[in-house]
Formats: sequence, structure tokens, C-alpha cells
Amino acid sequence: MDVIDIIELTLAIAIPVFFLGLGYFAGQWTASRHEADMQSRQPAVAHIWVHDLRPLDATTGQNPPIMLTSEVTLGIDHFRGFLGQLKSLIGGQVASYQNVLDRARREVTLRLQEQAARYGYNAVANLRIDFVDISGTATIKRKASFVSILATGTAYYRNT
Amino acid sequence: MIVVNTETVPGYRVVRVLGIVQGNVVRAKHVGRDIAASLKNLVGGELKGYTELLTESRRSAMERMLAQAQELRANAVLNVRFSTSAITQGAAELYAYGTAAIVEAEA
Repeated sequence: MDVIDIIELTLAIAIPVFFLGLGYFAGQWTASRHEADMQSRQPAVAHIWVHDLRPLDATTGQNPPIMLTSEVTLGIDHFRGFLGQLKSLIGGQVASYQNVLDRARREVTLRLQEQAARYGYNAVANLRIDFVDISGTATIKRKASFVSILATGTAYYRNT
Repeated sequence: MIVVNTETVPGYRVVRVLGIVQGNVVRAKHVGRDIAASLKNLVGGELKGYTELLTESRRSAMERMLAQAQELRANAVLNVRFSTSAITQGAAELYAYGTAAIVEAEA
């Protein structure tokens, strides 16, 4: 084994490990930053009531009710993607994917509340949250590296 | 035009139901966005390019639906739903549908 072999071997191991490490640290960083961001936006829209029923306690206001939509696409970083693929060998819960989906759903709900607040409504009825297979990769290649979530709801005035 | 995803509109009465209106859009994402997204994807986080793609698709599907509703002379579309299907890899359909109706404000 000469020097070239050793360099090749190191590169072959080092490069994937580097990207996994990058994914791990950067992924953790983006996730915690996103959490913090949602936490800080939450209080401003805490008064917007969100539910998935028909418009309850509805009253008329200056505008008719309006349908709101919001969407978000979150990437699953390299490390967590790799972890997910490993996990799928033995089965069981894949917590790293669950976390991404959870954050995406909370993000779209928050965006709906923010829109409702901006237009002056104080409640959102009939919240629907859907997973969108935007690229066809989720079902065809079974290798989702990102998740797209689409949320809809109807903003209305609620009797307070 | 009043557009809601509920069966009723608070403060309004449904006078006449005109029927289903719909709009669909099939969009492919373009390569530039793909490359940018795959780079961003190393570290996770929001892929804004794809979010925008979804926003645009949803908007044009809605516009087509609303155009149909206008043809029927409806003033409201009720119970709007979206559904998506991945037709092939790299292209997805976004389909919006709802019930066109005539509503009037309750006295």
C-alpha cells in the first residue's frame, strides 16, 4: 500500500463523513433556529383561534370570511436522511423525519394565523393540513429528501 | 367572490348551488431550482424555491377554478379542497375544486 492508496482511502471515507458531519451540525442548527423562530412568532398570533370544525361562534365583520392557504417545504439534511435510511433497515420510528414533519406542520399553521391576523380576523376554521408530493420523489423513488406541507383554512370573525 | 373551505359562510345564506368548479395545474420543477435545493438540502432548512413553486401552482389552480365560477355567475365558492398527485418524477399536479354557489348576506 503506497501513499496514493492511503490518500484515496482517506478521501473515500473523509468526504462522506464530512458531509454527514456537516448535515448533523448544520441540521441541528437550522432545526433549533426554526424552533426558536416559531416560538418568538407564537405570542403575536396566540389570540387567533384555530380549529378544524365549521366556523363556531361566528359573527359578521367588515369583510366576508376568506379562505387562507399556506405552504412550506423543509429539507431533510444529509445526516438525518442517512439515519432514516439506516433506520428503515430495522424498522421502527424514524424520529428525525417526525421532527421535520412536525416543524413543517407547525410552520404552516403559524403562517395561516399570521395571515388571519394581518387581515384582521380572529379565528380560523376548518384547518386542513396536507402532505404534497411536489416532485414525485416521495412515492416513486421512496427517497424523500424534503417534505412539502400545504395548509388551508377559512378565516372568520369569532364572537369574543 | 367569497372563497371559503367551509360548507357555510358565516353571515351569509346559500341561495343556490351551481355545481362543482375546478382548476388544475401540472408543473415541473426546473433544474436550476433542483440544484439549488439539493445544495441547501445538505443542511436542511426551508427550501424557498420549492415553497414558491407550490405557491405559484396553488395560485394558478385557484385562478382557473375562480374563472369557472365567474362563468357560472357565482359569487361564492364553498368547501374548496386541494389535492395533489405526482404524475411522473419531477412533475406534480395540483388540483383545486369547490362548489360554486350564490350566497346573499343575512339580514
